[in-house]
This record gives sequence, structure tokens and C-alpha cells, in this order.
Amino acid sequence: MLELFAFVGLPYAAILICVAGTVWRFRNDQYGISSLSSQFLEGKKLLWGSAPWHIGILIIFLGHFIAFLMPGVWQRLMAVPLLLALAEMTGIAATVMCLLGLIVLFYRRLTSARLQKSTHIGDFIVTALLLAQVGLGLMVAGGYRWGASWSTGTLTPYIWSLITFSPEISVIRDMPIVIQAHVVGAWLILLVLPFTRLIHMVSVPLQYLFRSPQKVVWNNPRRNNQAVAARVTQESRRHFLKAAFGLSAAGLLLSVGVLDKLGRFFQMPGLHHDEEANLLETRLRRLQLTAEEKELELERLRSDYIYVAKLAELNGTVGKYFIDYSMRPGLAFRAEDGWPMLLSAKCTHLGCTVGNQVDASGRILCPCHVSYFDIKTGMPNEGAPAKAPLDRIAWVVRDEQGNEVATESPRGSRTGRLDPTLAEGYSLFIVRSLSAEA
Amino acid sequence: MKQPLVSTLFDFIASRIPLHKLDVRHMITEKEVPVHRMSWGYYVGGLALFFFIIQVFTGMMLLFYYEPTVSEAHESVEYITHFVTMGALIRNLHAWSASFMIFCVIAHMLSALAMKAFAKPREITWIAGVLLLLITFGFGFTGYLLPWNQIAVNATKVGLASIDQMGQYLPAALSHLAEDVRVTIQGAPAIGQATLSRFFALHVVILPLMIFGVIGLHVLSVQLHGMSPGIEDKPRRKDKFFPIFILKDFKEWGIAFLVLFILSLCLPFDSLFPYPLLEPYNALGSTPDGIKPEWYFYFVYYPMELLPFWVIIVVMTFATLGLFAAPWIFKGTSHKTMRWIASAIAAYMIVMTLFGENIYHAIKG
Repeated sequence: MLELFAFVGLPYAAILICVAGTVWRFRNDQYGISSLSSQFLEGKKLLWGSAPWHIGILIIFLGHFIAFLMPGVWQRLMAVPLLLALAEMTGIAATVMCLLGLIVLFYRRLTSARLQKSTHIGDFIVTALLLAQVGLGLMVAGGYRWGASWSTGTLTPYIWSLITFSPEISVIRDMPIVIQAHVVGAWLILLVLPFTRLIHMVSVPLQYLFRSPQKVVWNNPRRNNQAVAARVTQESRRHFLKAAFGLSAAGLLLSVGVLDKLGRFFQMPGLHHDEEANLLETRLRRLQLTAEEKELELERLRSDYIYVAKLAELNGTVGKYFIDYSMRPGLAFRAEDGWPMLLSAKCTHLGCTVGNQVDASGRILCPCHVSYFDIKTGMPNEGAPAKAPLDRIAWVVRDEQGNEVATESPRGSRTGRLDPTLAEGYSLFIVRSLSAEA
Repeated sequence: MKQPLVSTLFDFIASRIPLHKLDVRHMITEKEVPVHRMSWGYYVGGLALFFFIIQVFTGMMLLFYYEPTVSEAHESVEYITHFVTMGALIRNLHAWSASFMIFCVIAHMLSALAMKAFAKPREITWIAGVLLLLITFGFGFTGYLLPWNQIAVNATKVGLASIDQMGQYLPAALSHLAEDVRVTIQGAPAIGQATLSRFFALHVVILPLMIFGVIGLHVLSVQLHGMSPGIEDKPRRKDKFFPIFILKDFKEWGIAFLVLFILSLCLPFDSLFPYPLLEPYNALGSTPDGIKPEWYFYFVYYPMELLPFWVIIVVMTFATLGLFAAPWIFKGTSHKTMRWIASAIAAYMIVMTLFGENIYHAIKG
């Protein structure tokens, strides 16, 4: 008897009262068909309560209605395990959202004195009913899994049987009490709908989902200014966040690109062994050159005579470079009279190494700042950046037996004589004792 | 009544380094930057800082492969350029960014001069800035030698030999002093391993330590005093330092990085020199043609080629002292005159840098 009332009597009564009540409300209280916004009384918690609640409940409604209106299609979709899991997850997530939203809304009603001034007993009834209904729904979803699938064969026929005026409660009467309670809860909500804030459902405020946010405020100058100021703060915050987001996104992209390059910088370059060999060879040659330089230095520290060249190798057109006792470059020439001429190759201007090619007028060029030096005297040309002549370097010529045959001091005074017939055997040296004198 | 000297000194320091303003709100959130037609000058300093940051990072990366010995230096640089993945990019970034940094530092100095930004109480900011300029030139001079190629070593040789030149103007008894100074800097009578080691130490340790300290002082005093107003009239409006100015600054940095990165990818800095100058330094051969310093030394290099040396010494000495003393020399100068002075210096620098070589050849034939 009770079952008959709960699953047949109550539904018909609820539907009847809902339709009649709505019509009555529409005729007598048209402007009251709203949820009686309380945003201007309290706005912050409302956002965190209302938004999740409405988003969640709309998703859940959609699920319930599809299962009710198109059981065949729904059944076939739910036969795909992935879709079934997806539907269940979406449903449970939406239910949790609803529950949290409702709790916030309920808490808000309980804690704000301003709200309580405009709160009616109906609001509490609705909240309690909805809380119970959502809670029950969650219990059904959790306790009797895959409701998205099984409901099409059980609850959908029950509702259709009511609509077609041939009530059939054989299935629902054997269902678990939690599911039965959930169904009864639905009829109760339908019953109270016309007499509470729930009536706002019939105005189908779907555009709320898409319109830009609005804020309900008292319309007085102070409030107005506050609203403008709040808006400005919000806008500038939005701009800052946008800019900060843009910059960090750009920075992220940039660093991904840059770090990619930088990271590889530290990896060992994978060289082919030919490349490796060439590289090693070049390095070795450089090391040898350095070693040779060091040997030259050591030689200059140890020996009293340094060999420059065979006298016969020298000429007056291309100078031969050598390194003097202070490790600076020198140039050796041979004059027309057969005597050697040794000059420092360090430019007296800024110390560049002078070139060794003698031009038509018997001069060598310092390429750095274009000074020409006469190889006979070492004097720079008129107007050259270099003012002082190149230093003369003292020398000794020895014959094959190692006897000194001729010398020149740094001041240019010569001793001895060179025999042109023996010139083939002559060797040219620089001398420490004479260099020290300089 | 005259104040005692010590308290005058304390007053000077207290008003130049107002540490009581040392709180984040004053230095960041409340700071405002005037907007006017010289405002671009405010960003050049930030760009110099940005390029310096690039230098620090690329420099540290190059240190992973560079070997500061006369036999290895050139080879290791070649190795970075040709074998290390992205090595050429990093090296180009370092070279291009160095030039950009020096350009920004000079432009920043000229804009500060034009805005009379050194006026009380910003003397210390200015002096720190002049020190930064000199340190930056020091970075350029020491860094130029490190690849140990022909142009690097020979140009350094020429640069150092100009110290010797001063000897001729000293009294006879002291005339060797100049050479002693050069030999001490070189570490040996001839430029060699000792010089490379010293320049390396200066470039990667000593100058960085110095510049970090001076940048700290410079930036701190900029934040303490706020930006110099820059012009006589009231600025049209002011930007909040945070977040507006800083975002604009970052925007400039982004553009600068893009330009620098693309340039470094596409155009090796070395490509501006003929190849023989990039061969390893040969101590025994003759100096190749076309030895010259980096472009940022042209403004002193070409006059040095053309004028008697003593003129250069006198002018450079006065110019350097004048830079340090600018806050006191130009105390009463109007903003307009300052702009003229700065423009004249800028014009000289631009002409000498772009056309110095042509002028030199036109005069020397």
C-alpha cells in the first residue's frame, strides 16, 4: 500500500500539483518567477556555491534526461566500456560539485545575518531536499555501480509507465531502499517546485552560462563608485595576469629552445676518428711550435753565440727572420758589399714586427702604421709614425773552422775582413757579449 | 657658522646613500619612472645589464672548453667553434653581446649626460657608472687577446706599446718607468704566456668581481634615488616602476635577445676580419696587414695615429677626469646645454667609429 502511494500516487500528485501550481504562480506572481538573487547581500561565497552547484546539476540533469528520453541510444552508447566509464566519472564528478556547492550555499545561509533576513522556510526545505537528493544520488552511484547502464532497463520503463498511465512498479518495488529513496526524493522536489525558489527553473536561465559576468549592486553613488573601483582593480589585475602569463609562456618557450642549445653545448661532441686524429695532429704541431720557441729561449739563455744563417743564403731583397737575445724578431740581410746587416724587426713605433720584403728603394715596411725603414741605416722615412731607427744587432762571422773573421758592434763599428772567395763557408752568428753591450 | 668637516662628510654620504629608503616598497612598488622624449635613455642601461648577463653565462660556458696557454688557446677556440655542439653559437653570442654591451654602456653614459642625471644626489651613481665604463673597456681589451690569433696578439701589442710611448715625456731619470709598467702588465719583456695568463685572470676573475660590486652599487643607488627626472619640465606622466616599467624593460630585453640570437646564428663575429688575421699568433713572423683594435677603441685609436702622442695623453687624461668630475663641473649647466654637449660627444664618437679609417687614409694618403 505504501509502495503504491510512493511510486504511483505521489508521482501523479506531484506532477499534477507542479503543473497546476506553476500555472497558478504564473498567473498571480509572474515577477516572482526567479530565484530571488541575494548576490548584493553576499557575493563571495555565492560564487563558490552557486557556480559549482548549477554547473554540476545541469550535467546531471542532462544525463538523467538522455537516459529517460532515448534509452535505446543510451544503452548502446553505454555498451562501450570507455564511454560508460567516462559517463560514470563525469556523473560522479558533477555530483561532488553539486554537493560541495550546496554545502557552501547552505553554510552561507546559516552564517550570514543579512541573508537570514530574506530567507524563508521554503529555502531551507529546498536546500535540505536537494542535499538529501544529491547525497542519495551519490550513494546510488557509489553503491550500485554503472547506474548509467542499468537504469535504462529499470527506472526508465517505470517512468514511461507512469507517463503512459499504465503504472508498473514491479521492478522498482524490488530495488534497494537507497534507489527507492532517490526516486521518492525526485517526486518531492517536483511537488514543492511551484512554491519555492525552484520555480526559477521554468524561466530556463540558460543564457547565464554564456553571458558575461554581471554583478548586482545597490544603485547609489557610493556603491557605484565602489563598483567602478572594483572593476578597475579587477581589470588591471586581469591585464597583469595576462601579461605575466604571456611573458612566462614566452619565457618558457624561449628557455626550452635556448636550453636545448645550451644543454648540447656540454655534451661531448661525437667526432669521427679522422676528425679526432686531425685535431690531435694540429694540437701536437702547436705544442711542438711552443716547444721549439722554448728551446730557442733556452738556447739564448745558455749559449754565447746563436747561429743565424749561412752568409751565402742571405741577400738584399728578402730578409731572414731570426730571434735575438731578448726573444724579439730580427732581420738579416746581406749588403751589396757582401757584409751582413742585422736589424731588429721590432718597429720603434708600437712594436709590430716589420716585414721582410725589401722594396725598390731599399726599404722594409711595418704594416701596422705604415713606416718604411731603410735597411742600410734602419732610419724611418720622413713623416712615418715611427721616429727612431730600427736597432742594429751586433754579429760575428765565422769561417768553417770556427774562427771569427769579422764582427760588428751594436754601434756599427766593424772589425776583420771578409774574403769573397771563402764566403761559401762563412756562417753568421749573433753574440751575447756584444748584445749585452747594447 | 661653518660645519665641522666630519659632519659635512657624513651629511654628504647620508644624502647620497639614503639607506633609510632601503625597503622593497620604496624601491620597487612606489618607484615611478617619468615618461618624456628622453625616456629611451632609461632603457639603455637595462639593456647593458641584459647583455652583461648574457656575457656572464656565455663566458662561463666558454670556460668549459677554453685553455689559456699560448699553445692551446687558439686551438681550443677553434675546437669550440668547429666541433663543440652549438659552440660557434655560444662564442658568437659572447662576441656580439660584448659589442652590444659596450655600445649600450656608451649610449647609456651619453644619455645620462644629456639628461644631467648626475646632478645631486646622484653623484655616486654617476661615478659608479664611469667606473663601469672603464671596467667594460677593460673587459674588451683583455678579452680581445684570449683567442691568441694574429690580430688579437698584435693589436694588444700595439695597445700596450702605447704605454711605452709615454716614457718620452717623462724626465730622463723616470723615462724607463713607462716601460717597467708595460712589462709588469705583460708579465714579461715580450708578450707571451705570462701576458695571456694575466689577461685571462683579469678577464674571468678580477674584472668580474669588480664589476659585480660596482653594478651592485650603481643599481642600488638608482633604486634608492629613483630615475633622474631627465628634463626641466614636469614629465607628461609617470609609469609605475613595478610592473609597468619592468615589463617594458623585459620587452626590450626580449627584442634584444631575438636580434642577438639571430645575429649569432647567422653571422660569425670573425667573418668581419680577413682570414690571415685569425691564424694562430706567430711570434716569429711579420705582423700581418690590417691590425687594428675593436671598433669601440676607434675613437681613441685613429686620433692616436694622426696626432702627436702627447695630445692624446692630455686629452684622454682630461676626458677621464672630466667624466669623474662631471657632477661638479656641470653643476650649474642647463639641461639644454647638457644635451648639446652630449650630442657633440656622440657625433664625434659616431664619426670616428664609422669613418675613422677613411679620415686616417684621407690624411695619411
